[in-house]
Amino acid sequence: MGDNRLPAVAYNAPDTILVVDDDEINRGILENIFCSSYQIDEAENGKIGLGKILKSPDKFCAVLLDVVMPEMDGIQVLRHLKKLQIPDLIPIFLITAEASDNTIKEAYHLGVMDVISKPVIPYMIQKRVNSIVELFQARKRLGNVVEKQQSELLRQAQQIIQLHMGMIESLSTAIEFRSGESGTHVRRIHDITKYMLTHTVLGKDLGTEIIDHIALASIMHDVGKIAIPDAILNKPGKLTAEEFEIMKTHTLQGAHLLEKIPQMQALPAYEYAYDIARHHHERWDGRGYPDGLKGNEISIWSQIVALADVYDALVSKRVYKNAFCPQKALDMIRYGKCGVFNPDLLECFFSVEKNIRELYYAYSAEEVV
Amino acid sequence: MDVRLIESLTDAGIDVNSAIERFMGNESLFERFLKKFLEDSNYHDLLAAISSGDSEGALKSSHTLKGICGNLSMNHLFDLLTRQVSLFREQRWKEATEMMSDITESYINITQAIRRNFS
Repeated sequence: MGDNRLPAVAYNAPDTILVVDDDEINRGILENIFCSSYQIDEAENGKIGLGKILKSPDKFCAVLLDVVMPEMDGIQVLRHLKKLQIPDLIPIFLITAEASDNTIKEAYHLGVMDVISKPVIPYMIQKRVNSIVELFQARKRLGNVVEKQQSELLRQAQQIIQLHMGMIESLSTAIEFRSGESGTHVRRIHDITKYMLTHTVLGKDLGTEIIDHIALASIMHDVGKIAIPDAILNKPGKLTAEEFEIMKTHTLQGAHLLEKIPQMQALPAYEYAYDIARHHHERWDGRGYPDGLKGNEISIWSQIVALADVYDALVSKRVYKNAFCPQKALDMIRYGKCGVFNPDLLECFFSVEKNIRELYYAYSAEEVV
Repeated sequence: MDVRLIESLTDAGIDVNSAIERFMGNESLFERFLKKFLEDSNYHDLLAAISSGDSEGALKSSHTLKGICGNLSMNHLFDLLTRQVSLFREQRWKEATEMMSDITESYINITQAIRRNFS
């Protein structure tokens, strides 16, 4: 399906060695030793050398630094570089004729990779410099690969989340389609639930991740309707008492269905999905179904989905009814014509209903397209 | 490099093979720096610093000259300067300056050999 190759790493290794030495012969010898494998840049004292490093630190793969120099000596250059943590990025080699033990100790402390004595022996300095330069380059290259792989993994994880959200939405939409509703019903329930949890006190104890799980779970509130016969599901007129009993089972059937899918159980949204499918027809006064839960025995997310479901049913056209205008729908909810709800929940809902109504204009614009 | 040249430089205290090795076999680069050695001011700076009693300047010139001699494998002069630099460091001014006659002799041998061969 995807491209499983390792990401190509666009890493341009720097290939310039900076030789900082006040003696022209020293610079000439070092240049002559390294010029076949590297670009060479030179500085004739510490101050100029430091300036070149600071100006383009990405250019250099190594710095060969003399100790005794006019203007600024090698140890002073090192102190500056150390402050900027440059010895972690560019290997610095101290090239010295006769440094005291203290100088060598301080140089290592300041982050030099090696101290090489003058006059230099070509094969030895080549080997020592090359090894360290390769080490630094390999380290940087691996760092880049790991970074790229990490962001690739993150992107794939994101893709997987979107994919399974898409599958859940497709399944739920397919089921809604059977009852002749437009596919946007589940999307609206999702959005209203998320909006209520994000913009009112109802979601104050829930993190954004939990809210996303609940919103995803809300999409599956009616999956149980797959078990309800067409004749009942799509009956234009009023249901008989017996038919209504069958219709009511979609809550338990939905919970049961979700329970039967192991992959569903592994989702962080599962607990919410099960609860919402089962309890989105409970009532605040305990006269709902299937379990007759009362008051706050019903989870806040099931209460929200129940209300969103009623609101959406009222303002939408259904096989058994025409759409009511939002104001009429609000009045019906307020006066208990469509069930009994938690008064705090209603207050929150009424406070944001205007914004929720805006969402509907957005959907109808989409549907026209 | 021809045998007579190598002999002449060796007599003046230069380890020609080790120098050419340091220059990665690049003989013309070695020759260029030998000729440059004639123009280098450190020997004269060293004399001037000593006659004016400038111990810091003397150490600096002696040290720099030592580095150049090391690179060009002027081993005899290099050894003398190595000793002089440590005497200067230990502030043994008298002993350090007394080495100047040996240093001068070695320096003149070298510069003459170079002049003879390259001018």
